[in-house]
Amino acid sequence: MIRVALPVHLRTLARVSGDVTLDIDGPVTQRSVLDALEARYPMLRGTIRDHVTHKRRAFIRFFACEQDLSNESPDAPLPDAVAKGAEPYLIVGAMAGG
Amino acid sequence: MGTPTPFGSATELSASEIARYSRHLLIPEVATEGQKRLKAAKVLVIGAGGLGSPLGLYLAAAGVGQLGIVDFDVVEFSNLQRQVLHTTPDVGRRKTESAAAHLRAINPEIQITTYDTRISSANAMELIRPYDIVIDGTDNFPTRYLVNDACVLLGKSNIYGSIYRFEGQVSVFAPPAGPCYRCLFAEPPPPGMVPSCAEGGVLGILPGVIGCMQATEAVKLILGIGEPLIGRLLLYDALEMKFREVRIQRDPQCPLCGEQPTLRELIDYEQFCGVRGQEAPGAPFESDFEISVEEVKARMDRGDDFDILDVRNPEEWQICRLGSAKLVPLGELQERMRELDPAREWVVHCRSGARSAKAVELLRQAGFVNVKNVRGGISEWASKIDPSMPKY
Repeated sequence: MIRVALPVHLRTLARVSGDVTLDIDGPVTQRSVLDALEARYPMLRGTIRDHVTHKRRAFIRFFACEQDLSNESPDAPLPDAVAKGAEPYLIVGAMAGG
Repeated sequence: MGTPTPFGSATELSASEIARYSRHLLIPEVATEGQKRLKAAKVLVIGAGGLGSPLGLYLAAAGVGQLGIVDFDVVEFSNLQRQVLHTTPDVGRRKTESAAAHLRAINPEIQITTYDTRISSANAMELIRPYDIVIDGTDNFPTRYLVNDACVLLGKSNIYGSIYRFEGQVSVFAPPAGPCYRCLFAEPPPPGMVPSCAEGGVLGILPGVIGCMQATEAVKLILGIGEPLIGRLLLYDALEMKFREVRIQRDPQCPLCGEQPTLRELIDYEQFCGVRGQEAPGAPFESDFEISVEEVKARMDRGDDFDILDVRNPEEWQICRLGSAKLVPLGELQERMRELDPAREWVVHCRSGARSAKAVELLRQAGFVNVKNVRGGISEWASKIDPSMPKY
Protein backbone atom coordinates (compact mmCIF):
# COMPACT_ATOMS: atom_id res chain seq x y z
CA MET A 1 0.00 0.00 0.00
CA ILE A 2 1.38 3.39 -1.06
CA ARG A 3 0.46 6.60 0.73
CA VAL A 4 0.24 9.73 -1.39
CA ALA A 5 -0.05 13.21 0.14
CA LEU A 6 -1.76 15.66 -2.19
CA PRO A 7 -1.78 19.45 -2.04
CA VAL A 8 -4.97 20.74 -0.47
CA HIS A 9 -6.50 22.08 -3.69
CA LEU A 10 -6.09 18.67 -5.34
CA ARG A 11 -7.59 16.92 -2.31
CA THR A 12 -10.58 19.20 -2.77
CA LEU A 13 -10.73 18.37 -6.46
CA ALA A 14 -10.47 14.63 -5.78
CA ARG A 15 -12.87 14.96 -2.82
CA VAL A 16 -10.57 13.18 -0.41
CA SER A 17 -9.26 14.10 3.01
CA GLY A 18 -5.88 13.10 4.32
CA ASP A 19 -3.43 10.89 2.44
CA VAL A 20 -4.63 8.76 -0.48
CA THR A 21 -3.74 5.07 -0.31
CA LEU A 22 -3.06 3.07 -3.46
CA ASP A 23 -2.23 -0.53 -4.23
CA ILE A 24 0.36 -0.89 -6.96
CA ASP A 25 0.98 -4.10 -8.88
CA GLY A 26 4.56 -4.36 -10.05
CA PRO A 27 7.44 -1.94 -9.54
CA VAL A 28 6.69 1.08 -7.35
CA THR A 29 7.90 4.05 -9.36
CA GLN A 30 6.76 7.62 -9.67
CA ARG A 31 5.11 6.74 -12.97
CA SER A 32 3.24 3.73 -11.57
CA VAL A 33 2.08 5.71 -8.53
CA LEU A 34 0.89 8.67 -10.61
CA ASP A 35 -0.78 6.36 -13.15
CA ALA A 36 -2.65 4.61 -10.33
CA LEU A 37 -3.57 7.92 -8.74
CA GLU A 38 -4.99 9.30 -11.98
CA ALA A 39 -6.82 6.05 -12.69
CA ARG A 40 -8.51 6.23 -9.27
CA TYR A 41 -9.14 9.98 -9.50
CA PRO A 42 -9.52 10.91 -13.19
CA MET A 43 -10.26 14.51 -12.25
CA LEU A 44 -6.57 14.85 -11.30
CA ARG A 45 -5.43 14.21 -14.87
CA GLY A 46 -3.64 17.27 -16.16
CA THR A 47 -3.26 18.85 -12.74
CA ILE A 48 -0.04 17.06 -11.71
CA ARG A 49 1.35 15.94 -15.04
CA ASP A 50 0.77 17.41 -18.45
CA HIS A 51 -2.19 15.78 -20.20
CA VAL A 52 -0.18 14.94 -23.29
CA THR A 53 3.50 14.61 -22.36
CA HIS A 54 2.88 13.23 -18.84
CA LYS A 55 5.74 15.42 -17.61
CA ARG A 56 5.55 17.02 -14.17
CA ARG A 57 3.90 20.41 -14.31
CA ALA A 58 6.24 23.26 -13.38
CA PHE A 59 4.26 24.32 -10.30
CA ILE A 60 4.28 20.83 -8.77
CA ARG A 61 7.14 18.94 -7.10
CA PHE A 62 7.56 15.38 -5.89
CA PHE A 63 9.29 14.37 -2.66
CA ALA A 64 9.82 11.23 -0.61
CA CYS A 65 11.91 10.61 2.50
CA GLU A 66 12.83 14.31 2.55
CA GLN A 67 14.42 14.08 -0.90
CA ASP A 68 13.35 15.96 -4.01
CA LEU A 69 12.46 13.42 -6.71
CA SER A 70 11.02 15.96 -9.11
CA ASN A 71 13.75 15.59 -11.68
CA GLU A 72 14.41 11.88 -11.16
CA SER A 73 13.48 9.35 -13.80
CA PRO A 74 9.76 8.50 -13.52
CA ASP A 75 10.69 4.85 -13.86
CA ALA A 76 13.26 4.77 -11.06
CA PRO A 77 12.10 2.74 -8.07
CA LEU A 78 10.80 4.75 -5.14
CA PRO A 79 12.46 4.27 -1.72
CA ASP A 80 11.48 1.10 0.16
CA ALA A 81 9.88 3.21 2.89
CA VAL A 82 7.45 4.60 0.32
CA ALA A 83 6.87 1.22 -1.35
CA LYS A 84 6.01 -0.27 2.06
CA GLY A 85 3.75 2.63 3.04
CA ALA A 86 5.92 3.75 5.95
CA GLU A 87 6.59 7.12 4.33
CA PRO A 88 4.26 9.05 2.00
CA TYR A 89 4.98 10.10 -1.53
CA LEU A 90 4.58 13.87 -1.34
CA ILE A 91 3.05 15.88 -4.15
CA VAL A 92 3.66 19.53 -3.28
CA GLY A 93 2.07 22.38 -5.17
CA ALA A 94 2.78 26.09 -5.35
CA MET A 95 0.50 28.19 -3.16
CA ALA A 96 0.46 31.95 -2.97
CA GLY A 97 -1.77 32.89 -0.03
CA GLY A 98 -0.47 35.34 2.52
CA MET B 1 24.94 27.01 14.30
CA GLY B 2 27.21 29.71 13.12
CA THR B 3 26.22 31.17 9.75
CA PRO B 4 28.40 34.30 9.64
CA THR B 5 26.18 37.34 9.82
CA PRO B 6 26.59 39.89 7.07
CA PHE B 7 25.12 42.54 9.31
CA GLY B 8 27.02 45.03 11.40
CA SER B 9 26.36 46.31 14.89
CA ALA B 10 24.64 49.52 15.85
CA THR B 11 25.79 51.93 18.49
CA GLU B 12 25.35 51.09 22.14
CA LEU B 13 21.93 50.20 23.52
CA SER B 14 20.22 52.85 25.61
CA ALA B 15 19.03 52.16 29.14
CA SER B 16 15.45 51.89 27.92
CA GLU B 17 16.49 49.45 25.20
CA ILE B 18 18.38 47.33 27.72
CA ALA B 19 15.22 47.16 29.83
CA ARG B 20 13.05 46.40 26.81
CA TYR B 21 15.25 43.66 25.37
CA SER B 22 16.45 42.16 28.67
CA ARG B 23 15.12 38.67 27.87
CA HIS B 24 17.11 38.69 24.64
CA LEU B 25 20.21 39.97 26.39
CA LEU B 26 20.10 36.99 28.72
CA ILE B 27 20.32 34.50 25.84
CA PRO B 28 23.99 33.78 25.08
CA GLU B 29 23.21 33.43 21.35
CA VAL B 30 21.77 36.96 21.29
CA ALA B 31 23.20 38.99 24.18
CA THR B 32 24.15 42.64 23.79
CA GLU B 33 26.09 42.13 20.57
CA GLY B 34 23.17 40.32 18.94
CA GLN B 35 20.67 42.92 20.05
CA LYS B 36 22.88 45.60 18.55
CA ARG B 37 22.86 43.62 15.28
CA LEU B 38 19.08 43.56 15.39
CA LYS B 39 19.09 47.30 15.98
CA ALA B 40 21.34 47.81 12.96
CA ALA B 41 19.28 45.50 10.71
CA LYS B 42 17.03 46.70 7.90
CA VAL B 43 14.16 44.38 7.05
CA LEU B 44 11.47 44.92 4.42
CA VAL B 45 8.12 43.18 4.94
CA ILE B 46 6.11 43.04 1.73
CA GLY B 47 2.43 42.83 2.61
CA ALA B 48 0.79 43.97 5.82
CA GLY B 49 -1.81 41.21 5.78
CA GLY B 50 -2.02 37.74 7.28
CA LEU B 51 1.71 36.98 7.21
CA GLY B 52 2.76 40.62 7.50
CA SER B 53 0.89 40.96 10.79
CA PRO B 54 2.91 38.56 12.95
CA LEU B 55 6.03 39.53 11.02
CA GLY B 56 5.59 43.18 11.82
CA LEU B 57 4.56 42.62 15.42
CA TYR B 58 7.40 40.29 16.33
CA LEU B 59 10.16 41.99 14.35
CA ALA B 60 9.21 45.35 15.86
CA ALA B 61 9.07 43.85 19.33
CA ALA B 62 12.41 42.11 18.75
CA GLY B 63 14.03 45.44 18.02
CA VAL B 64 14.79 45.23 14.29
CA GLY B 65 16.08 48.78 13.91
CA GLN B 66 14.66 49.67 10.53
CA LEU B 67 11.45 48.00 9.47
CA GLY B 68 9.90 48.73 6.08
CA ILE B 69 6.28 47.82 5.35
CA VAL B 70 4.86 47.73 1.82
CA ASP B 71 1.13 47.52 1.17
CA PHE B 72 -1.32 49.32 -1.10
CA ASP B 73 -4.56 48.15 0.46
CA VAL B 74 -7.04 49.32 3.09
CA VAL B 75 -8.18 47.33 6.13
CA GLU B 76 -11.43 45.44 5.57
CA PHE B 77 -13.65 43.57 8.01
CA SER B 78 -12.75 40.30 6.32
CA ASN B 79 -9.08 40.92 7.24
CA LEU B 80 -9.63 40.99 11.00
CA GLN B 81 -10.00 37.21 11.45
CA ARG B 82 -6.26 36.79 10.82
CA GLN B 83 -4.55 40.13 10.25
CA VAL B 84 -3.94 40.83 13.92
CA LEU B 85 -1.88 43.92 13.19
CA HIS B 86 -5.14 45.74 12.49
CA THR B 87 -8.14 46.31 14.75
CA THR B 88 -11.82 46.99 14.22
CA PRO B 89 -11.47 50.79 14.38
CA ASP B 90 -8.85 50.52 11.61
CA VAL B 91 -11.38 49.26 9.05
CA GLY B 92 -11.20 51.61 6.07
CA ARG B 93 -7.75 52.90 7.06
CA ARG B 94 -4.66 52.43 4.89
CA LYS B 95 -2.93 49.24 6.02
CA THR B 96 0.45 50.94 6.11
CA GLU B 97 -0.95 53.68 8.34
CA SER B 98 -2.64 51.19 10.65
CA ALA B 99 0.49 49.01 10.77
CA ALA B 100 2.81 51.90 11.54
CA ALA B 101 0.57 53.13 14.36
CA HIS B 102 0.35 49.74 16.04
CA LEU B 103 4.02 48.92 15.57
CA ARG B 104 5.10 52.27 16.97
CA ALA B 105 2.91 51.60 19.99
CA ILE B 106 4.68 48.28 20.48
CA ASN B 107 8.17 49.68 20.02
CA PRO B 108 8.85 53.41 19.66
CA GLU B 109 12.59 52.72 19.68
CA ILE B 110 12.70 51.49 16.08
CA GLN B 111 12.35 53.27 12.76
CA ILE B 112 9.32 52.25 10.72
CA THR B 113 9.09 53.26 7.08
CA THR B 114 5.87 52.64 5.20
CA TYR B 115 5.35 52.42 1.45
CA ASP B 116 1.69 52.87 0.55
CA THR B 117 2.10 51.48 -2.93
CA ARG B 118 1.65 48.30 -4.95
CA ILE B 119 5.08 46.75 -5.47
CA SER B 120 5.72 46.42 -9.19
CA SER B 121 8.48 45.92 -11.71
CA ALA B 122 8.80 49.70 -11.84
CA ASN B 123 9.54 50.21 -8.14
CA ALA B 124 10.66 46.85 -6.69
CA MET B 125 14.39 47.38 -7.07
CA GLU B 126 14.19 50.83 -5.53
CA LEU B 127 12.05 49.56 -2.63
CA ILE B 128 14.20 46.54 -1.84
CA ARG B 129 17.70 47.95 -2.43
CA PRO B 130 18.10 49.74 0.95
CA TYR B 131 17.22 46.65 2.98
CA ASP B 132 19.28 43.69 4.19
CA ILE B 133 16.51 41.10 4.19
CA VAL B 134 13.16 40.87 2.42
CA ILE B 135 10.22 38.91 3.80
CA ASP B 136 7.55 37.82 1.36
CA GLY B 137 4.11 38.21 2.89
CA THR B 138 2.32 38.70 -0.40
CA ASP B 139 -0.81 36.90 -1.54
CA ASN B 140 -0.52 36.26 -5.25
CA PHE B 141 1.78 34.57 -7.74
CA PRO B 142 2.83 37.60 -9.83
CA THR B 143 4.10 39.43 -6.75
CA ARG B 144 5.88 36.34 -5.43
CA TYR B 145 7.83 35.96 -8.67
CA LEU B 146 8.51 39.70 -8.72
CA VAL B 147 9.85 39.70 -5.15
CA ASN B 148 11.94 36.61 -5.84
CA ASP B 149 13.47 38.03 -9.00
CA ALA B 150 14.22 41.42 -7.46
CA CYS B 151 15.86 39.76 -4.45
CA VAL B 152 18.05 37.53 -6.61
CA LEU B 153 19.07 40.42 -8.86
CA LEU B 154 19.96 42.51 -5.80
CA GLY B 155 21.55 39.65 -3.84
CA LYS B 156 19.08 39.88 -0.93
CA SER B 157 17.81 36.97 1.15
CA ASN B 158 14.10 36.35 0.59
CA ILE B 159 12.24 34.72 3.46
CA TYR B 160 9.31 32.96 1.86
CA GLY B 161 6.04 31.88 3.44
CA SER B 162 2.70 31.01 1.90
CA ILE B 163 -0.58 29.70 3.20
CA TYR B 164 -3.88 28.17 2.11
CA ARG B 165 -6.69 26.85 4.30
CA PHE B 166 -4.83 24.68 6.86
CA GLU B 167 -1.43 24.38 5.19
CA GLY B 168 1.65 26.49 4.86
CA GLN B 169 5.13 26.52 3.35
CA VAL B 170 8.27 28.27 4.58
CA SER B 171 11.77 28.54 3.15
CA VAL B 172 14.65 30.96 2.79
CA PHE B 173 15.73 31.71 -0.75
CA ALA B 174 19.31 32.94 -0.83
CA PRO B 175 21.23 32.05 -3.99
CA PRO B 176 23.99 31.01 -4.35
CA ALA B 177 23.75 29.35 -0.91
CA GLY B 178 20.50 27.66 -1.98
CA PRO B 179 17.70 27.76 -4.53
CA CYS B 180 15.41 30.63 -5.40
CA TYR B 181 11.62 30.46 -5.78
CA ARG B 182 11.97 29.83 -9.52
CA CYS B 183 14.22 26.81 -8.83
CA LEU B 184 11.37 25.38 -6.76
CA PHE B 185 8.43 26.35 -8.95
CA ALA B 186 9.66 27.27 -12.41
CA GLU B 187 6.24 28.51 -13.47
CA PRO B 188 3.05 29.54 -11.70
CA PRO B 189 -0.12 27.48 -12.00
CA PRO B 190 -2.58 28.64 -14.63
CA PRO B 191 -5.00 31.24 -13.30
CA GLY B 192 -7.88 29.61 -11.46
CA MET B 193 -6.18 26.25 -10.88
CA VAL B 194 -4.93 26.99 -7.36
CA PRO B 195 -7.47 28.98 -5.37
CA SER B 196 -6.40 32.01 -3.37
CA CYS B 197 -7.27 32.49 0.30
CA ALA B 198 -9.90 35.00 -0.86
CA GLU B 199 -11.54 32.20 -2.86
CA GLY B 200 -10.92 29.17 -0.69
CA GLY B 201 -10.45 30.63 2.77
CA VAL B 202 -7.71 30.26 5.35
CA LEU B 203 -7.63 29.35 9.02
CA GLY B 204 -7.07 32.64 10.82
CA ILE B 205 -4.33 31.24 13.04
CA LEU B 206 -2.35 29.78 10.14
CA PRO B 207 -0.58 33.00 9.06
CA GLY B 208 0.36 33.45 12.71
CA VAL B 209 2.23 30.14 12.67
CA ILE B 210 3.88 30.66 9.28
CA GLY B 211 4.60 34.36 9.81
CA CYS B 212 6.26 33.63 13.15
CA MET B 213 8.51 31.08 11.47
CA GLN B 214 9.46 33.64 8.83
CA ALA B 215 10.21 36.17 11.58
CA THR B 216 12.34 33.57 13.37
CA GLU B 217 14.35 32.98 10.19
CA ALA B 218 14.89 36.73 9.79
CA VAL B 219 16.20 37.07 13.33
CA LYS B 220 18.45 34.02 12.87
CA LEU B 221 19.90 35.46 9.67
CA ILE B 222 20.56 38.80 11.35
CA LEU B 223 22.18 37.18 14.37
CA GLY B 224 24.03 34.57 12.34
CA ILE B 225 22.84 31.77 14.59
CA GLY B 226 21.22 28.37 14.00
CA GLU B 227 20.58 26.69 10.67
CA PRO B 228 18.62 28.85 8.27
CA LEU B 229 15.97 27.23 6.08
CA ILE B 230 18.14 27.70 3.01
CA GLY B 231 17.81 24.66 0.76
CA ARG B 232 14.98 23.30 2.86
CA LEU B 233 11.23 23.67 2.44
CA LEU B 234 9.13 23.33 5.56
CA LEU B 235 5.58 22.08 5.03
CA TYR B 236 3.02 22.60 7.77
CA ASP B 237 -0.35 20.89 8.06
CA ALA B 238 -2.45 22.36 10.87
CA LEU B 239 -5.12 19.65 10.65
CA GLU B 240 -2.59 16.88 11.13
CA MET B 241 -0.48 19.21 13.34
CA LYS B 242 2.47 17.93 11.39
CA PHE B 243 5.62 19.53 10.03
CA ARG B 244 7.46 17.94 7.13
CA GLU B 245 10.83 19.08 5.87
CA VAL B 246 12.10 18.40 2.38
CA ARG B 247 15.37 19.30 0.74
CA ILE B 248 15.34 21.60 -2.26
CA GLN B 249 18.24 22.36 -4.54
CA ARG B 250 19.30 25.02 -6.96
CA ASP B 251 18.25 24.36 -10.53
CA PRO B 252 21.28 24.71 -12.81
CA GLN B 253 18.82 25.57 -15.58
CA CYS B 254 17.12 28.32 -13.56
CA PRO B 255 16.77 31.33 -15.84
CA LEU B 256 17.44 33.64 -12.89
CA CYS B 257 20.08 32.06 -10.66
CA GLY B 258 21.22 29.11 -12.79
CA GLU B 259 24.49 28.57 -14.57
CA GLN B 260 23.51 30.57 -17.62
CA PRO B 261 20.90 33.06 -16.47
CA THR B 262 18.77 34.71 -19.11
CA LEU B 263 16.65 36.86 -16.80
CA ARG B 264 18.73 39.91 -16.03
CA GLU B 265 15.98 42.38 -15.28
CA LEU B 266 12.44 42.38 -13.98
CA ILE B 267 9.68 41.39 -16.38
CA ASP B 268 5.91 41.80 -16.70
CA TYR B 269 4.77 39.41 -13.93
CA GLU B 270 1.06 39.59 -14.63
CA GLN B 271 1.74 38.49 -18.15
CA PHE B 272 4.13 35.78 -16.91
CA CYS B 273 1.41 34.48 -14.60
CA GLY B 274 -1.32 34.84 -17.22
CA VAL B 275 -3.49 37.07 -15.08
CA ARG B 276 -3.41 40.28 -17.08
CA GLY B 277 -6.76 42.02 -16.80
CA GLN B 278 -8.29 39.62 -14.31
CA GLU B 279 -7.90 41.78 -11.24
CA ALA B 280 -8.66 45.16 -12.71
CA PRO B 281 -12.20 46.11 -11.74
CA GLY B 282 -13.50 48.93 -13.82
CA ALA B 283 -11.25 48.21 -16.79
CA PRO B 284 -12.98 48.01 -20.16
CA PHE B 285 -14.47 44.67 -21.08
CA GLU B 286 -11.96 42.60 -22.96
CA SER B 287 -14.30 40.18 -24.66
CA ASP B 288 -17.85 39.61 -25.77
CA PHE B 289 -18.13 36.98 -23.07
CA GLU B 290 -18.47 39.32 -20.12
CA ILE B 291 -21.47 41.10 -18.67
CA SER B 292 -21.80 43.75 -15.97
CA VAL B 293 -23.91 43.30 -12.85
CA GLU B 294 -26.01 46.28 -13.96
CA GLU B 295 -26.82 44.54 -17.23
CA VAL B 296 -27.66 41.28 -15.44
CA LYS B 297 -30.02 43.18 -13.11
CA ALA B 298 -31.63 45.00 -16.03
CA ARG B 299 -32.17 41.75 -17.90
CA MET B 300 -33.63 40.08 -14.80
CA ASP B 301 -36.02 43.02 -14.37
CA ARG B 302 -37.05 42.75 -18.02
CA GLY B 303 -37.77 39.06 -17.53
CA ASP B 304 -35.25 37.95 -20.16
CA ASP B 305 -34.96 34.20 -20.55
CA PHE B 306 -31.53 33.10 -19.33
CA ASP B 307 -30.00 30.93 -16.60
CA ILE B 308 -27.49 31.86 -13.93
CA LEU B 309 -24.66 29.48 -13.08
CA ASP B 310 -22.82 29.95 -9.77
CA VAL B 311 -19.39 28.24 -9.80
CA ARG B 312 -18.44 29.03 -6.21
CA ASN B 313 -18.11 26.45 -3.45
CA PRO B 314 -21.09 25.36 -1.33
CA GLU B 315 -19.66 27.21 1.69
CA GLU B 316 -19.83 30.44 -0.28
CA TRP B 317 -23.33 29.63 -1.50
CA GLN B 318 -24.44 29.46 2.13
CA ILE B 319 -23.24 33.03 2.70
CA CYS B 320 -25.14 34.63 -0.18
CA ARG B 321 -26.58 33.73 -3.55
CA LEU B 322 -28.45 35.09 -6.53
CA GLY B 323 -32.00 33.75 -6.27
CA SER B 324 -32.42 31.25 -9.07
CA ALA B 325 -28.76 30.46 -9.74
CA LYS B 326 -27.70 26.85 -10.26
CA LEU B 327 -24.69 25.87 -8.14
CA VAL B 328 -21.94 23.84 -9.81
CA PRO B 329 -18.52 24.47 -8.20
CA LEU B 330 -15.79 25.08 -10.75
CA GLY B 331 -13.95 21.92 -9.69
CA GLU B 332 -17.02 19.84 -10.56
CA LEU B 333 -17.94 21.60 -13.78
CA GLN B 334 -16.27 19.19 -16.19
CA GLU B 335 -17.98 16.12 -14.82
CA ARG B 336 -21.36 17.81 -14.25
CA MET B 337 -21.55 19.67 -17.54
CA ARG B 338 -24.28 17.31 -18.74
CA GLU B 339 -26.59 18.92 -16.18
CA LEU B 340 -26.43 22.14 -18.20
CA ASP B 341 -28.34 22.74 -21.43
CA PRO B 342 -25.91 24.10 -24.04
CA ALA B 343 -28.80 25.54 -26.00
CA ARG B 344 -29.69 27.90 -23.16
CA GLU B 345 -28.08 31.27 -22.45
CA TRP B 346 -25.87 31.07 -19.34
CA VAL B 347 -24.65 33.92 -17.18
CA VAL B 348 -21.86 32.63 -14.96
CA HIS B 349 -20.61 34.15 -11.73
CA CYS B 350 -18.30 33.44 -8.80
CA ARG B 351 -17.15 35.73 -5.99
CA SER B 352 -15.09 38.19 -8.00
CA GLY B 353 -14.98 36.95 -11.59
CA ALA B 354 -11.80 34.88 -11.91
CA ARG B 355 -13.23 31.39 -11.44
CA SER B 356 -16.27 32.18 -13.56
CA ALA B 357 -13.96 33.37 -16.36
CA LYS B 358 -12.36 29.93 -16.26
CA ALA B 359 -15.82 28.33 -16.24
CA VAL B 360 -16.88 30.36 -19.27
CA GLU B 361 -13.75 29.16 -21.06
CA LEU B 362 -14.55 25.53 -20.22
CA LEU B 363 -18.16 25.91 -21.32
CA ARG B 364 -17.16 27.52 -24.61
CA GLN B 365 -14.69 24.70 -25.24
CA ALA B 366 -17.55 22.28 -24.62
CA GLY B 367 -19.69 23.96 -27.23
CA PHE B 368 -21.77 26.40 -25.19
CA VAL B 369 -22.22 29.40 -27.45
CA ASN B 370 -24.30 31.83 -25.43
CA VAL B 371 -22.35 32.13 -22.19
CA LYS B 372 -21.12 35.21 -20.32
CA ASN B 373 -18.99 35.90 -17.25
CA VAL B 374 -20.36 38.32 -14.66
CA ARG B 375 -17.61 40.90 -14.29
CA GLY B 376 -16.71 41.37 -10.61
CA GLY B 377 -18.93 38.48 -9.53
CA ILE B 378 -21.30 38.47 -6.61
CA SER B 379 -19.03 40.92 -4.75
CA GLU B 380 -19.78 43.50 -7.42
CA TRP B 381 -23.48 42.62 -7.18
CA ALA B 382 -23.38 43.25 -3.43
CA SER B 383 -21.57 46.57 -3.97
CA LYS B 384 -23.67 47.96 -6.79
CA ILE B 385 -27.02 46.19 -6.87
CA ASP B 386 -27.89 44.83 -3.44
CA PRO B 387 -26.02 46.47 -0.53
CA SER B 388 -27.97 44.28 1.92
CA MET B 389 -26.16 41.21 0.58
CA PRO B 390 -23.28 40.10 2.86
CA LYS B 391 -19.80 40.53 1.41
CA TYR B 392 -17.04 38.12 2.20
